[in-house]
Order: sequence, then structure tokens, then C-alpha cells
Amino acid sequence: MNRVWNAIEDFEKFLNDGGVVEPVDDMPNEYRQAVFDFIEMHANSELMGGLTERDWIPKAPGLRHKMTVIAKTQDEIGHAHLLYMIAADLKIKTRKEMMEDLFAGKSKFHNVFHYQAKTWGDQVAIAFLVDAAAVISQQAVFKNCSYGPYKRILKRIIAEEGFHLRFGEESVLRISQGTEIQKALFQQSINDWWWPALQLFGPDSKPNDRLLRWHIKSERNEVLRDKWVQKFVPLLHGYGFTIPDSGLKWDEEENRWEIGPIDWEPLKRTMAMGGPDSARRISEASDSWEKTSWVREALEIVAS
Amino acid sequence: MRIYEVFLKTDGKEEFRHAGSIEAATDELALILARENYARRAEGIHMWVVDRKNICISDEGFIDPNLNKPHRHNDGKKVAKWRKSQRDKKNDG
Repeated sequence: MNRVWNAIEDFEKFLNDGGVVEPVDDMPNEYRQAVFDFIEMHANSELMGGLTERDWIPKAPGLRHKMTVIAKTQDEIGHAHLLYMIAADLKIKTRKEMMEDLFAGKSKFHNVFHYQAKTWGDQVAIAFLVDAAAVISQQAVFKNCSYGPYKRILKRIIAEEGFHLRFGEESVLRISQGTEIQKALFQQSINDWWWPALQLFGPDSKPNDRLLRWHIKSERNEVLRDKWVQKFVPLLHGYGFTIPDSGLKWDEEENRWEIGPIDWEPLKRTMAMGGPDSARRISEASDSWEKTSWVREALEIVAS
Repeated sequence: MRIYEVFLKTDGKEEFRHAGSIEAATDELALILARENYARRAEGIHMWVVDRKNICISDEGFIDPNLNKPHRHNDGKKVAKWRKSQRDKKNDG
């Protein structure tokens, strides 16, 4: 049933021929670790994203938005749930160990969840800019992902993120038709979230990126980032908002937007758990885990 | 905790299809978790959850593609050739 590869070259040939790896296969340890790290970070990000979303349930303006935010929260937590399950199936860490590492600041989650969403405008900017960035990277992983369980779950996640994107853009449309105060508030949110969202794609991929070589990712970071820029610059302009990038210019000859230089320092700080809201976010997530421990204990009793 | 495989079926004509898996403590909780994780937006109206340990799995190679048995894979070539020859004859005439 399970497949075995005697040398890494054989394994890489299998991947290059479009092979899909399943948990029962005897995959090389480096591959197992790389897939695990990638899925663990994705799972952590869904959980942290879901908790951010949850913060806005009481504060969302109006019943319809409130209901949508509840649905989004359930989606994100659901994604985390499925991702932690397939991550645990790789037998590197149990779900409990992944949680402990997350709360101890030992494992990573996306940079955008190291910042605070202070206003409803921020929440809309996240739904519009950040969710879109996440979907663009997830689609690129899904397209050619060599790890079977992840590919199957990504299909679901991408479908559900589609609803979030539509909600995000509908909210932008609504704000763009609002009062001057509302529009100014949202412009501030774009100013605050444009760069973190752009940095979600990470720095340019290294030439020897193992994630690309092993078909865990199928596209280079800078290509995906550019795809997002080309889409969102005209969209935001169309809704009457500006981009906080003094270096941004339209290249007539190439027919594309060129952005100014990227300051990677904020990204590095977030990855070292030193983002503006990292500590509070992690402690909130940890509290939430503690408060729900009785559910897990009850389940253990029922299971035994 | 046990791992369950989840199957969903959309309407009367479709077959059950594998949707994914879920970790749960009991059969009843598996059904609830499967519904909440895999069927929030009309992905199906009927659902099966099966404890993974109850699935019998065949070894690789157990299923024989039988590609060496042409009588099971009639490709229709002989008939197609004859029909073409008839058409050609008609067109020539």
C-alpha cells in the first residue's frame, strides 16, 4: 500500500512526474518536515484569523454584517480544525503540541495577524486585501500541490474564501458610497494594511526554494505578489481610494503598475513575534484555548 | 479520539462522494462535526461517516486493470474500419 523511495532523486522524479504523496507513504524526512511546517503555519494563521474575526462579532455594524462575521469565524476556525488534523497526521507534532508551540511563540503565523484591527474599516481592509492575498497564494499551492490531503482541503478552503472575498468587496463598495468621514476612515485602513497585506506573500523566493522544487508551492512569491498588485491597485483606484506608496507608477510601455521599494523590516519583526499586536494576540488565543479546555476534557472522557 | 471519513451525497441521482475526514470521540459527535465542517453550504443532503478503522483497504496491484484482456476492452476498431470502408465506397460511387 505505502510507497517507498530509496533515494531523494527517485522521490523528486516521482514529484516531477506529477506524483501525489499520501500520509501512508514512506516520504523522505525533509519533505515530511517541509510539508508539516507549511501546513502548521497555515493552520495557525486560520486560527489567529478566526479569533480576529470573532472579536468583531459584537462590533459589526448591523445584523447582516454580524451574521456574516459569525459565518466567517466558523469558516476560519473550521479551516484551522481540518488543517491541524492533517498536520497531526504527519506524526511530527500532536495537535496539543502545535497549540503549545503557538502560545509559546515558537511557531509562526501570517504577518497580518500580528497587527491590531482597530476599526471596522480595518476589518473590511483585511477582508478585501488580506483575504485576497491569502486566496492568491492558496490557489497557487492548490494548483499543483504534491501532498494529497493538503490539496483536498485547500479545495474547500478556497471555495469558502471566495465568499469572504465577495463580502469584503461588497463592504468596500458600501463604504465607498458612504459619508466623507466613512471614506476617510477606510482610506486610513488602506494606509495601514496595504503594506502588511503585500508582505503576506513574503520576500522574493530563493532560487533553490525546496517548497517549489517539491511542488508544495507552484509559483514564486514575487510573481504572486505582483499578481495581487496588478489587481488591487486599479480596484482601489476605481472605488476612489489611494495607495500609500509614493513610488507607485504606471508603466506605459509594459502596461503594468510598478511599486516602490519594499521595507521588509516590519515583516521580520512579526516573524520574530515582535509585531505591534503579537503579544496580545498570542495571549488571547492562549486564553481562549484555556477557557475551552473543559470541552476537550469532556470529549476525552466520552472517547474512552 | 477516532478518525472518521466523511461522505456526502447531493441529490437523488448522484452517488456518495468522499468529502474528507474528521476526528471525533463518538459516532454521534462525528456526524455533528462532519456536518459543521463539510456541509455548511448545501454541499450535500445525505451524509455517511465511517470510522477509518472499519474501511478495508486493498493492496496496491490487487485491482487488476486487465489491459492484457482485449475481450474486456472492445475498442470498436474493427466495426469502425468496416463502416468507414462502406462510407468511402459510397462517396466514390
